[in-house]
Amino acid sequence: MACSLRVQGLSRQYQTRNGWRKSTTVQAACGVSFYIPAGKTLALIGSSGSGKSTVARCVVRLERPDSGEIWLGGVEISRLGARSLRPLRSRIQMIFQDPTTSMNPRMSASAIIEEPLLIQQRGTRNERRERAASLMVEVGLSADWLDRRINEFSGGQQQRIAIARALALSPKVLVLDEALSGLDLSTQVQIIQLLKNLQAAHSLTYLLISHDLGAVAHLTDLLAVMSAGRIVEQGPTKEIIVNPQQPQTQTLVAAAEHFKKAFARAQGASA
Amino acid sequence: MPHRSKLRYLLAAVIAMNAAILLAGFIAPYDPTEQNRMLAYAPPTRVHLSDSAGLHWPFVYAQKADFDGYHEDVTQRYSVRFFAKGSGYKLLGFIPSTRHLFGVASPTQIFLFGTDAYGRDEFSRLLYGGQISLAAGLLATFITLFAATIVGTVSGYFGKWVDESLMGSAELFLSLPWFYFLVGVRAFLPLHLSPTAAFVLIICVIGLIGWARPARLVRGVVLSARNRNYVVAARGFGGSDYYLLWRHVVPEACGVLLTQAALLVPQYIAAEAVLSFFGLGISEPVPSWGNMLSALQQYNVLVSYYWLIAPALALTVTSVIYWRLADAIHHWLQSHSI
Amino acid sequence: MKFLARRLVRALVLLVGVSILCFGLTEFAPGSFFDEMRLNPQISPETISALRTHYGLDRPLAIRYGRWAASVVHGDFGYSLAYNAPVAPLLWARAKNTLLLTSLAMLVTWVIGLPLGVWSASSRGGLTDKVAGSVSSFLISIPEVVIAIALLALAVRSRAIPVGGMVSLNAEDLVGWQRVRDVLLHLLLPVSILVLSGVAVVERHVRASVLEVLDAPCIQAARGFGIGKTRMLFRHVLPLAANPAISLFGFSLAGLLGGSLLVEVIAGWPGLGPLILDATLARDLYIVIGAVMLCSVFMLAGNFIADVLLLACDPRIRAGEPDAA
Repeated sequence: MACSLRVQGLSRQYQTRNGWRKSTTVQAACGVSFYIPAGKTLALIGSSGSGKSTVARCVVRLERPDSGEIWLGGVEISRLGARSLRPLRSRIQMIFQDPTTSMNPRMSASAIIEEPLLIQQRGTRNERRERAASLMVEVGLSADWLDRRINEFSGGQQQRIAIARALALSPKVLVLDEALSGLDLSTQVQIIQLLKNLQAAHSLTYLLISHDLGAVAHLTDLLAVMSAGRIVEQGPTKEIIVNPQQPQTQTLVAAAEHFKKAFARAQGASA
Repeated sequence: MPHRSKLRYLLAAVIAMNAAILLAGFIAPYDPTEQNRMLAYAPPTRVHLSDSAGLHWPFVYAQKADFDGYHEDVTQRYSVRFFAKGSGYKLLGFIPSTRHLFGVASPTQIFLFGTDAYGRDEFSRLLYGGQISLAAGLLATFITLFAATIVGTVSGYFGKWVDESLMGSAELFLSLPWFYFLVGVRAFLPLHLSPTAAFVLIICVIGLIGWARPARLVRGVVLSARNRNYVVAARGFGGSDYYLLWRHVVPEACGVLLTQAALLVPQYIAAEAVLSFFGLGISEPVPSWGNMLSALQQYNVLVSYYWLIAPALALTVTSVIYWRLADAIHHWLQSHSI
Repeated sequence: MKFLARRLVRALVLLVGVSILCFGLTEFAPGSFFDEMRLNPQISPETISALRTHYGLDRPLAIRYGRWAASVVHGDFGYSLAYNAPVAPLLWARAKNTLLLTSLAMLVTWVIGLPLGVWSASSRGGLTDKVAGSVSSFLISIPEVVIAIALLALAVRSRAIPVGGMVSLNAEDLVGWQRVRDVLLHLLLPVSILVLSGVAVVERHVRASVLEVLDAPCIQAARGFGIGKTRMLFRHVLPLAANPAISLFGFSLAGLLGGSLLVEVIAGWPGLGPLILDATLARDLYIVIGAVMLCSVFMLAGNFIADVLLLACDPRIRAGEPDAA
């Protein structure tokens, strides 16, 4: 059963302290609104500091938005406390940019994938192990590698394990915060393919965060461009790319042109 | 790996040293409080391994006091016996036994390190004193690191005003002259206590004064671990604060704690020794390396009865081994984390 | 400038905190100066309570602290019960002796340790490094108590240098240079103990920080240009390595008054050490508090001076970069 994601008027500001002086306020996100239908993908594009990560963290409730609403399926989650949020956490999961820091390097692959199940107290030890094994296979790795330490895998493999971990609780929505940015081109292509397959298999809804339009253009149905904490333009991907209205969008589209060619070449090489 | 084997040797040395001290009752031939007024300040008994005929089972001569010192009385030989019967004691504090590692038949005595002003065997006192000194060092270190871990973790994890106030008091403690404060605090507590009470008091005082520096180190580790993405991710799975601390944050501090432990133990052993040296620590008749050394404050003792410096040697050996261990742990951790 | 002002305020706050801590501690300590007197049947309880009132010891804690703090600001550190004299002159006389000892020791320690550390680091793995490394490794692991006793034994047995006190018995007969020489001879033992205990720390610290700098990319680049070894050392490496060395220097400064208790007592040097030891054993609390406060002042001043030096030497701190200090 797929799940939609609607964000309405999301705002979040940060206070930075300078010792005893008065603090400065940074408006990271202001009045952000978008809607992702169930099973579709929306990419939130913008340059550094545009507020994309803040939106991502608020949606996953790693931070609390100052104002606005977040509708996960039919449930509004922006105001919930930790206890009521816990069962809902399994519906939406996040994948981070750098797999080396998002997973404890001392843990084995199986410990990492099983951790969400352990925290949510699902299943017996054996059941968790089996689930971890099947997830490893699903993301394209061998189940024999379950007991290897994380730092023994390559970057691309680590990101696959991060995806497996995110899938452990059978979420309906995945937020990928620059998940492709740390990978080289050919690995990016492979991961994008994996994500496509997973989306089809599990009817997942994706929220992609990226600064690179070209990398995500093939994966996403909808596009929203962010600048200085606000969404300046959004709509179906094809329309935006073909006819960018705002100057920020135009810059991003132009930068993506070079990627298209490289992407095509890489896809030809890995096919 | 060279580091690992070095670490193993040092760990073995530490364990052996502590084990020997623990088995003081067995290894020491005499009771540490047994006095022989006739044999005060006797020099170390010479153990002879050979005689005019060649190699011989180890034997000693009796020592006779004379006007100009002690001489060996060569009229009678006494063999050194191993696993000899001697005065009663309790091994490890609860197993009664009378067997000692070595000894000689009465009426002679074998003083490997000579005797002190009351004719007590220095070697036995050294071993028994070691129990006190090493235990004091280890326990005080444990107290310090326990306090430091709790304070550092709470301070680094929960932040804001908790952090500010805890680190403020840490800075306060750090701006005190540690040693003066130690002496001052100790001296302002009751001076005449039973040995057990004095021991507990000493380790509490030494342990509780030194919490500030390790606490800051632990806090640093906790601060950097707290913001790591895998901690954030685990929170995203619904992990509670306790789970996060236990599973991801505190294990990061283990390296720091281990190095600090190896550094603090010798410092605290020395601190107890100095306190006892000044009469502020363990007092007579319970031996401790510190109060054994205080006899050396009289220059004539220092000059004429050199064997009484044995506790200083014991302190040195202990200290050197622990420092090397700290170095080895430090290098091992560095190479391990890469 | 603002940075320094903040540090100064912080130091003053800490000082006040230390004084409160000390005062509170003495209040909660069981036993007082008059316990011995109480045991003496010839002194009546009325006399004792009269004495207590005279010294103001029967007032509540807060009032006592307030009065003491007010008088400290005027330079009056209270009254010693045992010596029956004001504390401040007593402290100051002894503190001067301690400072003489420790500053001389610190000078010698740094004069030996600093160049040795730099030399060790620049000849990494060479003979100097190996020898200096093992010696300092060994020295650092020996407790100060042992070094003190060993050197004392050596001095007493060899009778080469005078032991105990600051001047010889015939001090009044000596004039000018002979007097100085006499004091220097008496300083020899305690200074040697302090130097032997401290030089290893300095050498290792300096060596470690210089090594770290030598591996830095900017130095590698300079070597790539073919820069001469001496020039590189003085103009490039040392300024970068100065930061941790200055911190250690400040730390040494901080310990000028408080780090020599043991040495003074064992070597018989008439400094603050023996004074505070006797005072604590006699429960003469104003001396103890005064001595601890004086030491804390030095510690805070030492740290402050280190901050000033860091500010002067490291442009990164002046610019306000957070990760430089």
